Amino acid sequence: MPEIKGPSLIKVRDLFKIYKLGEERVAALNGVDLDIEAGEFAAIVGASGSGKSTLLNMLAGLEPPTRGSIEIAGERIEKYSESKLVEFRRRHVGFIFQSYNLMPSLNAVENVALPLVFRGMDKVKREKLAIQTLEKVGLKKYMRHRPTEMSGGQQQRVGIARALVLKPDIIFADEPTGNLDSVTTLEVMKLLREISGNGKNTLCMVTHDDNLSSYADRVIRIKDGKVIENIKIQRG
Amino acid sequence: MRSSDLISMSLGSLFKRKIRTCLTILGVVIGIASIVIMVSLGIGLDRQAMEMIAEYGGLTQITVTPGGGGMDMGSRNVGGSDPTAYLLTSKSVKDIASMPHISLVSPILYVDAVIRGGRYERSGQVKAMSLEALKEKYSDFAEGGLPKEGDTLAFIFGNMVKKDFVDYKTKAGFWDTGKMPNIDFMKSPLFTIFDVEAYEEAKNPDSSQSNSGGKEENAEGQLQKKGPPKKYLVPAAGVLKGGEEDYFQYSYDVCCDIEAITPIITKVFRGRPIPGQPTNKNGKPYREIFYNELLVIVDNVDSMEETETAIRQMGYNSYSNTEWVEEERQSARQRQALLGGVGAVSLLVAAIGISNTMLMSIYERTREIGVMKVLGCRLMDIQLLFLCEAGLIGLIGGLIGNLLSFAISFIINTITKATTSVIPGWLALAGIIFSIFVSIFAGYIPSRRAMKLSPLSAIRNE
Ligand SMILES: Nc1ncnc2c1ncn2[C@@H]1O[C@H](COP(=O)(O)OP(=O)(O)OP(=O)(O)O)[C@@H](O)[C@H]1O
Ligand SMILES: [Mg+2]
Repeated sequence: MPEIKGPSLIKVRDLFKIYKLGEERVAALNGVDLDIEAGEFAAIVGASGSGKSTLLNMLAGLEPPTRGSIEIAGERIEKYSESKLVEFRRRHVGFIFQSYNLMPSLNAVENVALPLVFRGMDKVKREKLAIQTLEKVGLKKYMRHRPTEMSGGQQQRVGIARALVLKPDIIFADEPTGNLDSVTTLEVMKLLREISGNGKNTLCMVTHDDNLSSYADRVIRIKDGKVIENIKIQRG
Repeated sequence: MRSSDLISMSLGSLFKRKIRTCLTILGVVIGIASIVIMVSLGIGLDRQAMEMIAEYGGLTQITVTPGGGGMDMGSRNVGGSDPTAYLLTSKSVKDIASMPHISLVSPILYVDAVIRGGRYERSGQVKAMSLEALKEKYSDFAEGGLPKEGDTLAFIFGNMVKKDFVDYKTKAGFWDTGKMPNIDFMKSPLFTIFDVEAYEEAKNPDSSQSNSGGKEENAEGQLQKKGPPKKYLVPAAGVLKGGEEDYFQYSYDVCCDIEAITPIITKVFRGRPIPGQPTNKNGKPYREIFYNELLVIVDNVDSMEETETAIRQMGYNSYSNTEWVEEERQSARQRQALLGGVGAVSLLVAAIGISNTMLMSIYERTREIGVMKVLGCRLMDIQLLFLCEAGLIGLIGGLIGNLLSFAISFIINTITKATTSVIPGWLALAGIIFSIFVSIFAGYIPSRRAMKLSPLSAIRNE
């Protein structure tokens, strides 16, 4: 398969995040530098407590860094205010949660359509788009089911569809298979790989499971808040 | 976010917590109902007072009385050389009638008279005024009607005047015996004696003998022993409508056309002072008749003040309901503020309830709010969602509260058999708007809190 070489979509330089716990200062990120290219499926791996989630949250604009710069899709977001970060997320970011975080009172279509509701799309249009996206993740049959009427794997597929429906520049996922058994985990990973589709979408996934990094184009290994390894995997 | 989605999402989350929502709304219902009921009582009382004022001459009527010391000449010390300067004459009537905005001016003269019908008699005043004034004041008749122009003298009797008639021998009447005198004003012949003093004298000379000083002086001066005074046959023109117990302002009136009565009393008292009329320094009567009052009706409420001032500048005294109305309005305002305040306390409690419920639900929904933020919901929309929830509680509470108020108002009015509680349209509307406003206000702090929640709360796995 031909490799699609894009420009750097994510550019992180000298990133620090220091939490103050009383007198003690915990450096969750301790000078991170990294680049992720457009169209890549990047996996951030590392032991528990190494700072993976902290890094991801910062990239997704959920939390401001203490120091350093983050450039995503040409925007320097490290000094953005809360409301500017919302606008940034609205333009560029899709998010997949470990514990799915579907709205229990909404069915699958409505859950997938939720980000479109927040963007003011009318009901007919957004339902159509949501159903199309559900079809992509293979859940059209379950579109009128509520989260409580679905398995964990199915719920996570709905979560993936919800991140995908906006066609965002980057999809972030923090331990997307963390709550799933091994069989379902493989299914979900295959789906993510399919979505990444060799350059169609940029994905950035956090996992502590080294085996899962085999699905990615790039593996970024983190230890004690520092990148200790950043390798591009040649696929195909 | 579209406002339709905003509202349906708010409704959704209210619906999800049915019992809690119902209880919160119940608080608002009680708060709004108590405000609306309290204010409606204020309005009802106010309206009753205004109706009473309207009954007592309304808002456009002025009663003019003589200036200076009034009709009592002894105490008059104004007017310089002319002691009759500020008395009410036909000239005063003309002067006032020529002022702007006057729709009616009538002289009013109180004439002492004894009216006899069968065994019964009434000794008291007859109120004489112009035909126009009679027409203005007395409209509902049970029998007969208003006298016409040029008619000979005829009386109009109030519906309860009968109670003032007494047996001419025993002096006992309704108030002594509890028995209604048996007179039919329209059918039985009625006699009227205008020279009341002479009549009393002729009836029981003994009692008048004991009337010491005055009698002797009189005897020294012109000793003229008269026979009983002349009786006039004066029929009833009409009897006012109303049962014997239906009291209203004119129930005890006996009145007549002033044009018809003045020639008679001038004739009766020729060469002598008419009782109640002023005399000059020598005790001689004036040629003119002086009126006790003038009745003035103004064509609109706004020119009342101006007209009254002009009348007072002419040297007369005047009286109208304007001040009464103003006083009444002021006390009504105070009453409404007090009653409304009592109701407002219960709405305040309801508002605290709303704040409390919303804060609680925000803590429960921390995760949901975080997810919404991560999924790109604007901060403003999150705040609007919560304000919208609060507003919906206010709207529903206000609507039900109003329904409850109408029901309670109906019950109060049924029990009191009067319009004690009045809910005008504006009050109902104001109730709902106020309810929404207060609820949104109560929801403001929780909505700010929701807006400021960190999106990270959605990511953390418990
Ligand atoms: N809000 C916080 N306040 C204080 N310390 C924090 C906070 N969030 C993270 N940390 C600390 O920062 C470090 C990195 O945490 P992070 O959640 O990024 O780890 P992780 O690599 O995602 O671990 P895991 O695989 O268990 O999820 C940890 O030592 C953690 O204790
Ligand atoms: Mg983590």
